[in-house]
Amino acid sequence: MKKILVVEDDMPIRNLYKEELIDEGYDVITATDGVNGYELFKSSRPDLITIDIKMPNMNGLELLDKIRKEDRDIPIIIYSAYGEFTQNFSTWAADEYLVKSSDLTEFKNKVKELLLR
Amino acid sequence: MSAEDIIKEYQDILRQYNILNQISKTVSSTLDLNKILKIILTGVTFGDGFGFNRAFLFLIDRHSKNLRGRMAIGPSSAEDAWKVWNEIKDKNYSLEEYLGSEKFENEQQFSVLDEKIKQISMPIDKNRVVWKCLQDGIPRNVDLVSAAAGGENEPVEDSGPAALFKERQAFSQDGLVQVITVNDSALIDAELAEYIDHPKFCIIPLISRTKKVGILIVDNKYNQRDITSDDIKFLLLLGQFAASSIRNTIIYNDLKDSISALSKLNMKLNYLKDYNEKIIESIPVSIIVVDHNFTVTQCNENCGKLMGFSKEIVMGKQINTHEIYIDGINLIDEVFKVIKENKAQGFYKVNMTINGEKSDEIFDIMLVPFKFSEENPEGAVIIVENVTNTVRLETELSNTKKLSQLGKLAATVAHEIRNPLIAIGGYAARVKRKFLEGAQTDIGNLEIIIEEVKRLERIVNEILDFASGREVKFSEVNISLLLLECINLAKAAAEQNNLEIIFDCGRDLVENANLHVFGSRDHLKQAFLNILNNAIDASGKKDKIKICIAKGAKDSFYDFSDSARKMQDSISGIFSKDRAEGEPEYIIIYINNSAPLANREDIKNIFLPFYTTKTKGTGLGLTITKKIIEQHAGKIEVNSSIENGTTFAIKLPLMDI
Ligand SMILES: Nc1ncnc2c1ncn2[C@@H]1O[C@H](COP(=O)(O)OP(=O)(O)OP(=O)(O)O)[C@@H](O)[C@H]1O
Ligand SMILES: [Mg+2]
Repeated sequence: MKKILVVEDDMPIRNLYKEELIDEGYDVITATDGVNGYELFKSSRPDLITIDIKMPNMNGLELLDKIRKEDRDIPIIIYSAYGEFTQNFSTWAADEYLVKSSDLTEFKNKVKELLLR
Repeated sequence: MSAEDIIKEYQDILRQYNILNQISKTVSSTLDLNKILKIILTGVTFGDGFGFNRAFLFLIDRHSKNLRGRMAIGPSSAEDAWKVWNEIKDKNYSLEEYLGSEKFENEQQFSVLDEKIKQISMPIDKNRVVWKCLQDGIPRNVDLVSAAAGGENEPVEDSGPAALFKERQAFSQDGLVQVITVNDSALIDAELAEYIDHPKFCIIPLISRTKKVGILIVDNKYNQRDITSDDIKFLLLLGQFAASSIRNTIIYNDLKDSISALSKLNMKLNYLKDYNEKIIESIPVSIIVVDHNFTVTQCNENCGKLMGFSKEIVMGKQINTHEIYIDGINLIDEVFKVIKENKAQGFYKVNMTINGEKSDEIFDIMLVPFKFSEENPEGAVIIVENVTNTVRLETELSNTKKLSQLGKLAATVAHEIRNPLIAIGGYAARVKRKFLEGAQTDIGNLEIIIEEVKRLERIVNEILDFASGREVKFSEVNISLLLLECINLAKAAAEQNNLEIIFDCGRDLVENANLHVFGSRDHLKQAFLNILNNAIDASGKKDKIKICIAKGAKDSFYDFSDSARKMQDSISGIFSKDRAEGEPEYIIIYINNSAPLANREDIKNIFLPFYTTKTKGTGLGLTITKKIIEQHAGKIEVNSSIENGTTFAIKLPLMDI
């Protein structure tokens, strides 16, 4: 079973993603901020990571940067409530950039796609 | 003496003359005193020249008359010395080349030595050898090693009567150089001896004609070479040259300074004269001076442009023949009042109607009583300034400010609302899907939806609160009870983080009847909760949040360090502060947590809307709190330091019961 790490500080959204991904048949672990996310990336070696940008402690872009320095291949989806982050070069280190939406179809499709690659 | 020795001696002499020549050439090319001193000291220490290991320069201070350390050149240790010599040797510089090189230009003084010399200041003391040397112009060869042996051919410095017969010239008639050997350490200033830290050195007086300039000291601390009388002869020549160029430079610079000061003064005078003449014409203000008969005695060109009068029409005529109204007030009446009461009067941002014609422009008008002379004391100056553009700019500015605040609000609102919306939408879709799949409805999912809707409502309320300000109903509020209620509400959140809220109000507080504020209970509750929640957010696990209250006069905010100390000692309850009879009493509530502000420079900003350091903060909490406290005629202040953490002080007027 593929393991997905969800890094998201907003509790309801974190749970929503988790439950939806579990329903899709993945093993899901969650982290509440960048620091926590990095710890889990090191300790449980997930197959894919989804990261929110705006988070306390270490934000999503910092976390992305930190992970990419150690692992250039692991699929990463970064998402945020802001569209303007697409303009930010540091998001390009991710495989996918998504704007948060209540419709999770695209999100789930991207996860599937990236894991098949 | 062998022929070879003689040749070598002549070569040495030639070389030293050459050096002198080079030094004087470079010195005369500049009038920068520091540069001149540096050239001289470099010449003295340059390997190819005199080659002294170290050179020190002291000048007589113009004000204190002390001999003050000015500059020193030389390595600060033997290793250093070796390095420096090798470097110059490698480059194969001649002195002249070196003095012209970039290296010389850029080279800082050898710091330790040079830094320390500037701290030395030797007061006049006729018994010290440095001053004796300046007195008689004869160089001193200090040798504290062979103290017992004494000087052989040369006279030995002593303070006895023999000293009186000393020649007062450094060169005797036959051209031989005179040197006095010093081997009594008591004759050397202790400060100087400690600084030089070498028992053998030579002191050369720097005297320009009769004017004492300073002294030059050289030594050979590192290679221990003896200082010969030939050395001293050249040093004396150099000393004379140095003294006069130093003196000339100082005089020249003084002269230059005073000339430039003078010319500046002159320029200023001219400027002022011009200014006085032109100012009245050039400023974009219309100035009209009237006497007690309202006759215009003076006015500027601009008065025409601003008010539609030309100078010629108005001058010498009575102004009260015109009808000038400012926002419906008769200007002439006001001028009359100003003259009579001898008090200035201002009207700001007014419209003017002159002889029935109303202008679109906006004006600031000042009426100032004016004294012509003793016999004719009455008159007034009417100053009219067109502020239309300023006012326009001001409104524009406040509009854009409002707009940018609105934009910021919109962005914050959008962001704040987005997360709950996504969660609600996501969970609703999930519940629907589960339902269609025939699975059991997950109550947890529905609960999240309900919670998120509540969150949305809260955000909307906060924004509406900020934007409009709910209608406020005032009644009698017992502050101590309200505080206790708020603390109870905050406790749940505090306990999650193992936080302790200390409000040891004791009997004092409950028994004291007058802790009533006339205000809105709901709003005050919100204000206190906002502050408590901030304190909880800012605290780490096991921190303490301390609350104490005080009573006092209006302007007697306890100083924060005092309250911090009291909180440190955990003295809570009421401590009153003196107030004058009849003044209303104020209650002051201090709420302290141990963490300082995340950015302490931002202390000015924390009450501004949208200032937040939290992911989920709206940054409206303190803005609303401040608004509430001010609606209650109160005041809120904050203080933050690493030692005492963050303390909010809220002051509210108590009801008079
Ligand atoms: N007691 C405190 N200790 C340390 N920092 C504080 C304290 N109170 C406020 N601050 C700082 O001031 C900022 C502004 O506070 P404010 O209450 O206005 O907004 P917020 O708490 O961030 O958001 P909201 O109140 O809307 O949840 C906070 O983000 C925090 O950085
Ligand atoms: Mg707050």
